[in-house]
Amino acid sequence: MNNQKLILTEHLSKIYKMESTIVAALQDINISIDYNEYVSIMGPSGSGKTTLMSILGCLDSPSSGSFYLDGVDVSGLDDDDLAVIRNHKIGFVFQTFNLMPRANCIKNVELPLIYAGVPADERHERAIKALQNVGLGDRMYHKPTELSGGQRQRVAIARALVNNPSLIFADEPTGNLDTKTGEEIMKLFADLWRNGNSIILVTHEEDIAKHAKRIIKLRDGLVIDDNINPTPIYI
Amino acid sequence: MEKFYDIIHQAFDSIRSQKLRAFFTLLSIAIGVFAITFSGSLTNSIDSTVNAQIESLGRYTFFITKVPAIQMGGNDWFKYRNRPEISYRQYLDLQEKTEDYAVVTGSAKSTGFTVKFGDLETDPDVTLVGTDHNFFLTSDLEISNGRALLQSDIEFNKNFAIVGNDILVKIFPNNPDVIGKEIKIDNKPFTIIGTLKPKGALLGQSQDNIIIIPLSQFLTKFSSQWEQDVVLIVKANNPVEFSYILDETIGQMRIIRNLKPWQDNNFEVQTNESLSDQFGSLTGYLTYFGVFSGIIALIAAGVGITNIMLITVKERTREIGIRKAVGAKKRLIVLQFVSETIVLTLLGGLFGTIFGVVVGGGLGIFVGTSFTISVKWVLISLTISVLLGLASGVFPAYKAASLDPVDALRYE
Ligand SMILES: Nc1ncnc2c1ncn2[C@@H]1O[C@H](COP(=O)(O)OP(=O)(O)OP(=O)(O)O)[C@@H](O)[C@H]1O
Ligand SMILES: [Mg+2]
Repeated sequence: MNNQKLILTEHLSKIYKMESTIVAALQDINISIDYNEYVSIMGPSGSGKTTLMSILGCLDSPSSGSFYLDGVDVSGLDDDDLAVIRNHKIGFVFQTFNLMPRANCIKNVELPLIYAGVPADERHERAIKALQNVGLGDRMYHKPTELSGGQRQRVAIARALVNNPSLIFADEPTGNLDTKTGEEIMKLFADLWRNGNSIILVTHEEDIAKHAKRIIKLRDGLVIDDNINPTPIYI
Repeated sequence: MEKFYDIIHQAFDSIRSQKLRAFFTLLSIAIGVFAITFSGSLTNSIDSTVNAQIESLGRYTFFITKVPAIQMGGNDWFKYRNRPEISYRQYLDLQEKTEDYAVVTGSAKSTGFTVKFGDLETDPDVTLVGTDHNFFLTSDLEISNGRALLQSDIEFNKNFAIVGNDILVKIFPNNPDVIGKEIKIDNKPFTIIGTLKPKGALLGQSQDNIIIIPLSQFLTKFSSQWEQDVVLIVKANNPVEFSYILDETIGQMRIIRNLKPWQDNNFEVQTNESLSDQFGSLTGYLTYFGVFSGIIALIAAGVGITNIMLITVKERTREIGIRKAVGAKKRLIVLQFVSETIVLTLLGGLFGTIFGVVVGGGLGIFVGTSFTISVKWVLISLTISVLLGLASGVFPAYKAASLDPVDALRYE
């Protein structure tokens, strides 16, 4: 493929069947995202943002439709293949940080490298570098419980970056942070984008979504708007 | 794979988060492993002690008795009971008929006697052995002072005694010169002609609380008429012809006891080998019992461990979600939780092993056997602990590995 996209979906849908009801969390999603784009997925609660991110992040499979990541049809892959893709190509940043509470920062950041089979010494070095890159060079041996929310989110970002993924997902990354700390994290994402990373930001807040260069709006599992943001903040 | 240290660390976290449950589970692993190591090691020790003991009696010696030394099961009791005793007469006959190729010793034994000298007396627990001049050839007892029995002592039915150390200590507390003194055994007078070298204890029992007298004296004074049963100890003169001598002696014994060719032997022949075999099967039972109860305890422990790990998996659902999100394959999650379980069970196993070795050793000292720490049984126990971890960890680990990452990350 000539003009291969980072992400390409065709008629993607996700349906949750429960005892009495059927929830169409996503319906007929057709989107295409290029390398080094900075995209917000925005919508009210329950609109399907996290569901979409899970599928695009290879954590979950769609009910129907197809999804190409890096030109590879991902919809037919099994759990272990998806794990390898997540390990090599994708980094996640969550609203609740999702760090391992008993491990220190370095151990947390090393985790993807462990599953990538990187030798211990190199693992350690790369984790330290990633932590320094997010400004946590002086907190490396602290445990998450000894850090502030903003610092925790930086650890999570370092973990998302450490294996040089092609794509970073951030699901409400500022949701548990105060405004000022949230802004600092958003600046960090802008830096990442400038350094060539592709970022997909999931949020229900207009103010946060506005940091991206493109905003995709969801409602009731449908894409209702997909436009360039002419005035991205920090960029 | 994470470093070994991390796995141990996680395993300890699992223990810490469920202290009480973990305590009882580790305890039951320890008990199970203890039962196995302990019974294994103890029976090993008993075996080697008994074998050494039997060996010291001489390899080319065998016993002829009315009933077997050890009877397994009760079915044959009547058969043995109704056999005619081996009499003093038969003893003399066998001695005479086999004198060209074997030495025959007759011996009879009973316990519960009181020995007196002057005002001093022993407890009623002395063992009395009636035997003959050949006794010291086939026994590992030795004379320390005075002399052994002579053939004439038996023939002329002399009331002579050779006395063991425990008795001397009690009735001659500070009198080293005991030869020629007259003692009373259950009020019957005997003259001391010799003393025995002390031997110490075996299986918790002193071997020095013993008096040796002529067989004729024993049978006439200390056993009722219908209990005139003599144990014959036969020592082959020529080791090379042992099996021939064994057959020949059995043949003579059949003639002496008037057995027709079609009749079975109505006496037992016990070589040292057959004796140690019988001990072997006895200790074998002990081992089976220990291993069996150990396995029961381990099965209980296995169920407990599986439970602990299931709770651990539930508590760490989010962590499992994180691991999957950053790229952990199923089998690595399985490996992690199985390894953690093995660390747990191995820990319990180690406690049990140490406990087993220490208690086994203590008991070995107590009963006077040389206790050998059985490396074989320690290794068996630790292997069992690892297998237990594997068996009880696989299901929780598989459950962890099968979690859906999206659900796991959302888990509160
Ligand atoms: N595992 C599930 N089983 C059933 N329904 C689900 C499941 N996960 C999500 N849904 C439903 O799918 C719809 C979309 O959920 P999703 O979590 O994607 O929303 P969201 O846009 O991320 O909302 P929020 O802003 O509150 O995080 C919701 O109606 C939700 O109830
Ligand atoms: Mg959401």
